[in-house]
Amino acid sequence: MELTGEQQAVLDGSRGDYLAKCMRWLVEWGEVMGAKRLIKVDNTHALLPVPNLMAQGASKETMDRYMADLVEACSHGTHPGCTCTVHAAFVTLDDVDVPENDPEQVQMQKDLAVLASDAGFIPTFTCAPYLVGNVPLKGEVLAWTESSAVVYANSILGARTTRHGTESAIAASLLGLVPEFGVLLDENRKGTLRIEVTAELEDPPDWGALGYFAGKAAGLGIPVFNGIRRPSQDEAKQLCAALATSGGVTMCHIAGVTPEAPTLDAAFQGDVPEDYLTFDAETLKETYESLRVRTGDEIDSVILGCPHASINELSKIAALLKGKKVAEGVRLWIDTARGTKGNADRMGYTEIIEAAGGRILCDTCPTNMRIPAKRIVTHGFKQAHYARGMVGAEVIIAKTDACIRAAVAGRWLGDG
Amino acid sequence: MADTIDIRGHGVVKGYAEGEALVADTTLSFWGEVDAITGKVIGVGHPLEGISLGGRVLVIRSTKGSSGTPMVLNLAQLEGNAPVAFVNVEVDGLAALGCIVNEIPMMTELERDPFELIATGDHVVVDADEGVLRVTRK
Repeated sequence: MELTGEQQAVLDGSRGDYLAKCMRWLVEWGEVMGAKRLIKVDNTHALLPVPNLMAQGASKETMDRYMADLVEACSHGTHPGCTCTVHAAFVTLDDVDVPENDPEQVQMQKDLAVLASDAGFIPTFTCAPYLVGNVPLKGEVLAWTESSAVVYANSILGARTTRHGTESAIAASLLGLVPEFGVLLDENRKGTLRIEVTAELEDPPDWGALGYFAGKAAGLGIPVFNGIRRPSQDEAKQLCAALATSGGVTMCHIAGVTPEAPTLDAAFQGDVPEDYLTFDAETLKETYESLRVRTGDEIDSVILGCPHASINELSKIAALLKGKKVAEGVRLWIDTARGTKGNADRMGYTEIIEAAGGRILCDTCPTNMRIPAKRIVTHGFKQAHYARGMVGAEVIIAKTDACIRAAVAGRWLGDG
Repeated sequence: MADTIDIRGHGVVKGYAEGEALVADTTLSFWGEVDAITGKVIGVGHPLEGISLGGRVLVIRSTKGSSGTPMVLNLAQLEGNAPVAFVNVEVDGLAALGCIVNEIPMMTELERDPFELIATGDHVVVDADEGVLRVTRK
């Protein structure tokens, strides 16, 4: 990779050891991924989490070394002019009376949030930064963590980001640079797999099902959907999250809808494949069933807001819950960004949800927190997929209204 | 007599390591499918479910999924429970980043099919600087 004199100097230590290390990460990563140069990054979404229960059983030495790295990262200012937001954490900064929100870890996260904001990182603590003001324009170069947000930024917004991890997003935030490879280049934004959609997609989870199916089929490629209408923001969010869950997808196109796919031909950059997969009504049904394998219908958790709920979703959930009561022994949690909850408070949604026995959880999600659960109903394919391994729960994927019915009944009642 | 073969390939992330092979023609997401502290695969129904990756040369098709990959590798490495090397058919950028940050060698583009020539339990020397795997059958 060719570096400018200034970049080489940073690599050689002109701005200290830590920034030299950051530069080394970007350069070595770029070389592995075939980049020829570093380019300016306008906007980052970084991961700065204390590990909470993810590090359960870790030695004190591991924790100390892990935290020291994050503190070091936050002791340098973010690059001037670069918008830097922060990904969801593994704890909520609110006082929540569950043992999984370890007070010691919460305090560590709070301390880190102060350091991070002093450094220029906006402590959004969300997996959906595009819902709380980090909305890049078409063509903007980003360094985002959170695979679902990466797919959303590339596909729905037409911005450009490869999938980042903790260290590369931190390095990009501090240096204002990313290695140029993958979907940052036009030729790598070309569709690789054509999917004709004949199923009627009515609700956000239907779009999640499409993404879950397509992600598995596309692997590391770029699926192109043909034959579907423009999704709502909430539907697009589910599609992108599911694509990043079952596969290693970085972006997709929707022919006639997304910014870089005015036509099917444009999505494939003029090279439309003859072969295609079909997503029909039967496939839609099978995809739901693949995340409903269970040994009973009693439930203990209903988890909504994966990825973090939009204000529209909170409005819908509040309307469904109004005047109802969540069943005894059922945890109904709706995950969202703190900024979105502020709006929900003012709209009266929070009050309705809390009066029904639900809770709006900020900064994190129950899967990240490792809230114990035996059987979870959720409308997020991503949540359903990961909850099985990370929480060890059985899952039932369903539309939002069926999720609320289950929360009130204390058992899965079917789609209704 | 131990049966030893050399397989040439491309060293994606340089370095040298050796250990017992763990082989599966599958993909694996470190986020959600691997416990960061024990290094065990926790993905329900995953072909490697319940097996620890610690100290192993991990021979799989590719890693997949999440931005959390380097973080899980980092914690596992601090606990001594990360794989000592990756041998992958396809390179996932996030695993490559995790390997760079944690100084774990990674090889790809093997001249011969690793799933045919390497079995779980074989001793594998990974020389990603020279681009060679030395496999000793168990």
